[in-house]
Amino acid sequence: MVSKTLNAPNGYKVRISLKTALGEDAYEWNQSEMFFFQATMAFAMRRHFQMETYNVDNIILCVQTSRVSFWFVVTSPDNTTMLIPKADVEKAVRMSRHRINNAFLLSDRTLEFLGIYPTLAAPVNPDTPPWLIVFGVVIGAVCVGIIALLISSLLQKRRKEKGMTEDGQDEEDMQVKGVENGINLDGTYNRGFTDDDRFTKL
Amino acid sequence: MGKDAARAEWDNPMQFVLACVSYAVGLGNVWRFPYLCQMHGGGGFLIPYLLMLVLLGVPLFYMELAIGQKMRLGSIGAWRAINPYLGGVGLASVVTSMYLCLYYNVINAWSFWYLFHSFQSILPWAECPVNSNLTGHVEECERATPTQYFFYRETLDISGSIEENGGIHMGQALCLLLAWMIVYLFIVKGVKSTGKVVYFTATFPYLVLIIYLIRGVTLHGSINGVKYMFTPKMEQLANPTTWINAATQIFFSLGLGFGSLIAFASYNQYNNNFEKQAIVVSMVNSSTSIFASIVTFSIYGFKATFNYESCLERVRLLLLNTFDLAEDTISLENVIHWIAELNRTHPEQFTSLGGRLETCDLEAELDTAVEGTGLAFIVYSEAIKNMPVSQLWSVLYFIMLLLLGMGSMLGNVIAVITPLSDLKFISRYMSTKTLNGLVCLFCLLLGLGFTTRSGNYWFTMFNDYGATFSLLFIVLIEVITVCYIYGIKRFEKDVEDMLGHRLNCYWKIMLAGVSPILLIALFIFYIVNYIQGGTPTYQAWNKELGKSVVTEYPPYAQAFIGLLLASSVCCIPLTALYTYCKKRNLASGKRERTVSTVSA
Repeated sequence: MVSKTLNAPNGYKVRISLKTALGEDAYEWNQSEMFFFQATMAFAMRRHFQMETYNVDNIILCVQTSRVSFWFVVTSPDNTTMLIPKADVEKAVRMSRHRINNAFLLSDRTLEFLGIYPTLAAPVNPDTPPWLIVFGVVIGAVCVGIIALLISSLLQKRRKEKGMTEDGQDEEDMQVKGVENGINLDGTYNRGFTDDDRFTKL
Repeated sequence: MGKDAARAEWDNPMQFVLACVSYAVGLGNVWRFPYLCQMHGGGGFLIPYLLMLVLLGVPLFYMELAIGQKMRLGSIGAWRAINPYLGGVGLASVVTSMYLCLYYNVINAWSFWYLFHSFQSILPWAECPVNSNLTGHVEECERATPTQYFFYRETLDISGSIEENGGIHMGQALCLLLAWMIVYLFIVKGVKSTGKVVYFTATFPYLVLIIYLIRGVTLHGSINGVKYMFTPKMEQLANPTTWINAATQIFFSLGLGFGSLIAFASYNQYNNNFEKQAIVVSMVNSSTSIFASIVTFSIYGFKATFNYESCLERVRLLLLNTFDLAEDTISLENVIHWIAELNRTHPEQFTSLGGRLETCDLEAELDTAVEGTGLAFIVYSEAIKNMPVSQLWSVLYFIMLLLLGMGSMLGNVIAVITPLSDLKFISRYMSTKTLNGLVCLFCLLLGLGFTTRSGNYWFTMFNDYGATFSLLFIVLIEVITVCYIYGIKRFEKDVEDMLGHRLNCYWKIMLAGVSPILLIALFIFYIVNYIQGGTPTYQAWNKELGKSVVTEYPPYAQAFIGLLLASSVCCIPLTALYTYCKKRNLASGKRERTVSTVSA
């Protein structure tokens, strides 16, 4: 059950988390899947070196555990005793990482090559940050609101000045009503007793 | 009488009540009360809180409304009318309100920033940004959390200490400009415009709180938080700090002493029944606090459970990977069991795990009590990013924060503008609109100082020292003035004049006896605490460590704190002295004139 730490300078440990990735739809990891993995790795090597000679036998797997993790090394197709250096394997894996992941319906997180860190997606930088757009809309609306209020009160003042000559009386009556010596009046104010009668009727 | 006729008025009493509710129900209800509840024994904290409401909150609220409604002037004019020597009380209120105006709108600017950033497919505080060579995440973000990184680095671009200044953060400055423009829009026509706005700012936050309550209690793990909050720990009641914090919370939550209540009430009709309104507003304010803390704690519970389960998941993966077990052998439920099992069966390999094995503790997650901006912008955003459809919840939440903040801002600004517009030499030369605009512009320009890189540290300084101590002093002088210098009998007669019935003994006992005693006790406590506290400190963000460290204020900052405290408090004795000198000069001037006519 316990994996021994291998001293494999040219090998990589692979860890697969099927249940985490697929949950109920997880397929069983068996020897056929292992074969598929060897084929995928051979494809990756072919693609990187652009040599059609890599084959399934060049990918050697060992120390398989029930975690689903195993080690692999890659041998050179010309000379099966020579191992491909770690750096080259890494480059090959990086190049085809997306294809390898998709082959197994996994992702960078669930199909791990320990030691090869996935390159993170480059941040998308739009020309105008989206927040500025929303900000622009809101501040535009507020400006319009302020200007509208200022203009409307200006118009109201002008209208009032025009109307002052006609209904000046009404205004004063309205304001005086109800507050007389601090006692609340409930009745209507009798205009007959207004102090200033601006327009004497002829 | 003529002056009364020209004074603006609320369209109906409902607008006045909603304005008071909008002012009193602010950010403190959402981010300070839940914290206090958690610190002081959960459900048990309600006992000192409600007691202080009855003994301290409601009577003082009543008194301020009565003064405003009777004098029909802002705080400066009102206090000058009560006693010419104590006009300084009003001036001190205006100075304190001015400080509050300066820094409070910065919170609204932050809310706007977060609101505008919520319109993205992935919330920017959900993940760490990638570093320049795409190999990993930005270091500072890795050491802290993405939400902390977004707040401290991208929102504030905070420097390492208060001494390191920097440029103005343009985004913050723009948001502050927007915030002040909106405040101007709301107050430009005086109470006519404010009266209509408060219908929205007072009621909409409740709608959002209800939506959040429903969302909160349906989240996985929220029940842990609510249970944690309501389990009373009665032994906390024996701690005097609990009672003091309850009194302080009531006091500041109702917004006493700023002059806003006096200003609002000055636009009332003379016979408005403010007694009923005072009770209603205080009750609404306290119930909102309790309601908001249920919401906060259900969110806390969700966040704590989420973090706890993430921790368990990480431990599970670590065990699976180290011991190469099949994936379904360890599940979240039996992680703890397996830890013990593996320790027993494979001790050497287990010890090789070393520090990587985390201890997951739900209680510890719930115990992390946070208040203030940390709660609102870091803890809450962290919880929101884990909710499904997080953009919607984020937008709703920050709109609620904005409404709460704007509602309180209205009260603060009106507290400054009303006394200024009452002063004859200002009202002669400029209209209300120009005055409002000038005040907003002035506050905006000074407030830009809080958008610099060290701005958050100055903000904290203003928040901690700008209003707390001075307010206690102001309200203490207010109560003593009204009850003993002006006389409780005269006050009683004024109230009878306005309401039609006499003060019943509850108000009399509280105002003349209990409240002053409690205020004096609070005042003494603050002074003792301040002296015992040693050098004032603040939390500086250290980007290498990715967390805040406690740092002492440099001497000039400490001097500034002293200036903040003194500037508002000194208004009272200085104005008294000035009035005394003026009266003496007037008296001696009259004497001289009489002498000269006799001799002539």
